[in-house]
Amino acid sequence: MTSATVPSKQSNIERVRFWQRSAVRRNLTAYLFILPFVALFAIFNIGPFFWALWLSLLRGDLVSPVKPFVGFQNYASLTTDNITLQVFRNSLQYTVSVVPITVITALALAFLIGNRLVRFKDFFRAVVFFPLLASAAATAQIWSYILAPRYGILTYLLGLVGIPEIYWLSNPSVALYGILLVEWWRGIGFHIILFLAAMLGVPEELHEAARIDGASAWQVATRVTIPLMRPVILFSVVMGTIWAFQLFDTVFVLTNGGPVHSTATIVWYIYNHAFRYGQVGMAAAMGVVLLLIIMPISFVQMRVLGDSG
Amino acid sequence: MTQDRLRRRWRKTTSILPQAALIYALLTALAIVMLGPYLYIFASSFKETYTLISIPPRLIPEQFVWDNYTYILGELPFSTWFINTILVAALVTLGTVLIDALAAYAFAKKQFWGRDLLFGLMLATIMIPGALLLIPAFLITNQLGLLNSYGGLIIPSLANVLGVFLLRQFMQTLPVELEHAARIDGCSDFGVFWRIIMPLSTPALATLSIVVFTAQWNNLVWPLVVLNNKNLYTLPLGLALLRSEFQVNYGITSAAAFLSVIPLIVVFIFLQRYFLEGLTVGAMKG
Repeated sequence: MTSATVPSKQSNIERVRFWQRSAVRRNLTAYLFILPFVALFAIFNIGPFFWALWLSLLRGDLVSPVKPFVGFQNYASLTTDNITLQVFRNSLQYTVSVVPITVITALALAFLIGNRLVRFKDFFRAVVFFPLLASAAATAQIWSYILAPRYGILTYLLGLVGIPEIYWLSNPSVALYGILLVEWWRGIGFHIILFLAAMLGVPEELHEAARIDGASAWQVATRVTIPLMRPVILFSVVMGTIWAFQLFDTVFVLTNGGPVHSTATIVWYIYNHAFRYGQVGMAAAMGVVLLLIIMPISFVQMRVLGDSG
Repeated sequence: MTQDRLRRRWRKTTSILPQAALIYALLTALAIVMLGPYLYIFASSFKETYTLISIPPRLIPEQFVWDNYTYILGELPFSTWFINTILVAALVTLGTVLIDALAAYAFAKKQFWGRDLLFGLMLATIMIPGALLLIPAFLITNQLGLLNSYGGLIIPSLANVLGVFLLRQFMQTLPVELEHAARIDGCSDFGVFWRIIMPLSTPALATLSIVVFTAQWNNLVWPLVVLNNKNLYTLPLGLALLRSEFQVNYGITSAAAFLSVIPLIVVFIFLQRYFLEGLTVGAMKG
């Protein structure tokens, strides 16, 4: 903009030339500023994306120099292979369990902390943040001891109220819920803090008005507060779903997919087929399927972000 | 009159009291569930093997022993893992913040051909699951000869789209007059960026630093794929290894898990604000 207001002594032609030169220069410096980012981004994000699509059409292991082209055979195999079907089932079952459980409990806990009678809200916000600090690996270590059979403290505590021993991580029909329990602890703080921020943003006058009209606390919550929090709840559901479909770390450390594939997830499958079993094509095809699952959910996420910002 | 008011207030207080008691009881339970596991492994890290598997479980060690800590610090390369993690997380944070800030400045303040197209493309890549990129990113890192090296851990992690997004949003709010003034005083493009934009963006830079540092500190998958030399391991990878090698020695795993979390807890206590602000940004990294 500044370059347009050149001294009037210069002729028109000179002025145009000056402007052009400066525009080119300005472009050039802008490109220099984005160069490091764009170069790394192209090499480690854009490039790999297209390479992954290509790999999903090939067969071979990670290091084989020549990988024969097999078309859509890998995708076809995904639909027939027993383990693949189990993996899809696990990921789906996990997602449809963990998301509602986490979001509903987080909402309830946000109402608890956000209650008018509670002082030290910041303290409780920090308390629920703490589990978010540990790595999934550390969390898995912590919980493998808590969930241990016989001498695990959870087994003991449940025993006090008469619940018999549960083999959280070694019983195939329970293990997925053992993982869910750990991930619930690890992730709930995110949702609570999000909800709390939205809840405290609702103007107090609205609550007051509803109360004067004779609404009970439950009615104020369900008719006033929650409807006003809808965008945030949607964001939280979307993020929770995206994470749930990409569950890996906790499974890798706690059960490594077992027992008998009962906790094998989509990303666990990708990791193992690429880096353990030498089936890069299958792994890449599974990755593409994961992308196709995530993409529509992400569109919602972008829409929500677009609306809020 | 006053008596009446007092009575009303008294009635109000007594009617609220049971409700408040219930709420604080529930909050105490919540605090125990959220912090209890940390405290439990902290206590357990001082237990000797026998107490660790006693039935019923003991909360407090029968006798305090340092054996678990001396073992992981003496027999295992735990301190090496610790230093590796600090080094890698710090370098990735520094590099990401610088590279992202440079790009964000151009996207926020400069006109150039293809700007909006490029930015849209970048945002679209957020939805690509990391697991899909894992295989080709590994192959590229291999091609570059960076497997089993700090470079292989650091360089592929440097371009962070969400960082550019966050910093651009912030830089757009900075008044353009400051830049003009600096330019009139003879500042170069880079001078404006370095002396004006960067200092003014400190809050956003701090938030991004926290997000990137935490994510790197806790990153498991990329080190797992890139490294097989135990001396280059980072903490999450080391912890995952401990899990497979010391299935039942919970004293050792407790001590290791606790030591790995402590630095972030300390940083969190001092810089809580930035952690809370970075929550949504960090979340979207998938």
